[in-house]
Amino acid sequence: MSDARIEGYAKAMFEIARAEGTLDEVEDELFRFARSFENSDSLRNALTDEMIPADKRQAIVEDLLDGRTTATTTQLISMVVGSGRGRDLPAIIDHLVQRASSAKNLEVAEVRTAVALTDDQRARVAAALANATGKQVNLKVVVDPEVLGGIVATVGDTIIDGSVRTRLDQLKARL
Amino acid sequence: MNALLNVASVLAQHPMHEDSEGLTTPSALWPEHYEIVFGGLASVIIFVLLVKFAGPVIKKGMAGRTEKIQKELDSAAADKASADAEAVSIRQAKGDINAERARLIADAEAQAEALLADGRVRLDAEIAEMRTRAAAEIEAGKNRWADELRAEISRLSSTAADRAVAESIDDATQQQLIETFIAKVGASA
Repeated sequence: MSDARIEGYAKAMFEIARAEGTLDEVEDELFRFARSFENSDSLRNALTDEMIPADKRQAIVEDLLDGRTTATTTQLISMVVGSGRGRDLPAIIDHLVQRASSAKNLEVAEVRTAVALTDDQRARVAAALANATGKQVNLKVVVDPEVLGGIVATVGDTIIDGSVRTRLDQLKARL
Repeated sequence: MNALLNVASVLAQHPMHEDSEGLTTPSALWPEHYEIVFGGLASVIIFVLLVKFAGPVIKKGMAGRTEKIQKELDSAAADKASADAEAVSIRQAKGDINAERARLIADAEAQAEALLADGRVRLDAEIAEMRTRAAAEIEAGKNRWADELRAEISRLSSTAADRAVAESIDDATQQQLIETFIAKVGASA
């Protein structure tokens, strides 16, 4: 899909979430759904398979997210999947998150950890990253067991890697 | 001869003869003397005329016949010579065929021998090449197997290391790693 169309979908979803007054929550849920979509082949195949009718794909989304996300998030994802743009869902959501962050003069900071962070830890990580980069950040936490331990933070083009995975890989490379 | 003389004597002594019409002739066998003269002259004239007019024609006919016979003889002789020449040619051709057959057989045998020799050389070369290739493949297979084994050992070691590390990181260690990250990043401004 062209950048203009992706941007168009992102803008529309952004405006709907803002109009509903749930932008922060929806943005966070969409971001986490996008990462799950990228990491799960079965989910990606189910939601992008043109042989499956659109209403069936939408039913999968609704069954999957029912009770786990806000209704707005579920409806937005269902709309994108139903319109046959499931393959572009991560790009659309990333544009939406970028747009939401820009609206608040924030930089998106993607943080990957092996375990979930507490609210206090999220706040301190956001403060530490803001301190390190000189920018206010919109923190997006992704729980990724592959990290093994520690944190990998990506702010724009800057990557701050304090993960056990990277240290282990470096150790393997040296061996 | 004596018999003839006796017949002539009898005829000469034969008396005059008179036929049924009353005509008399001096002899029952001999004609009148003038008839003999005229008859003889006519015979001579006829003979002369025959010699003069028919003779050349007969002579010419005989010459033609002789010439025709001679031609036939010549033709027969020519045919015989031609047949002899053809027989010689056939004999020669037969000899040539035998020689050609022998030459062809010799050529074929030479070619077969050359092909056989060439085939042996090529076969030897191919066998040598196959042996070399097989040796190289065996060697490469050994190396590949060793590489695959090393890769597998590395992969298993990596997996084992990952698992060992993951199992060794308890919740307290996780929290400590997160706090260390926050402290380091917060202090790096």
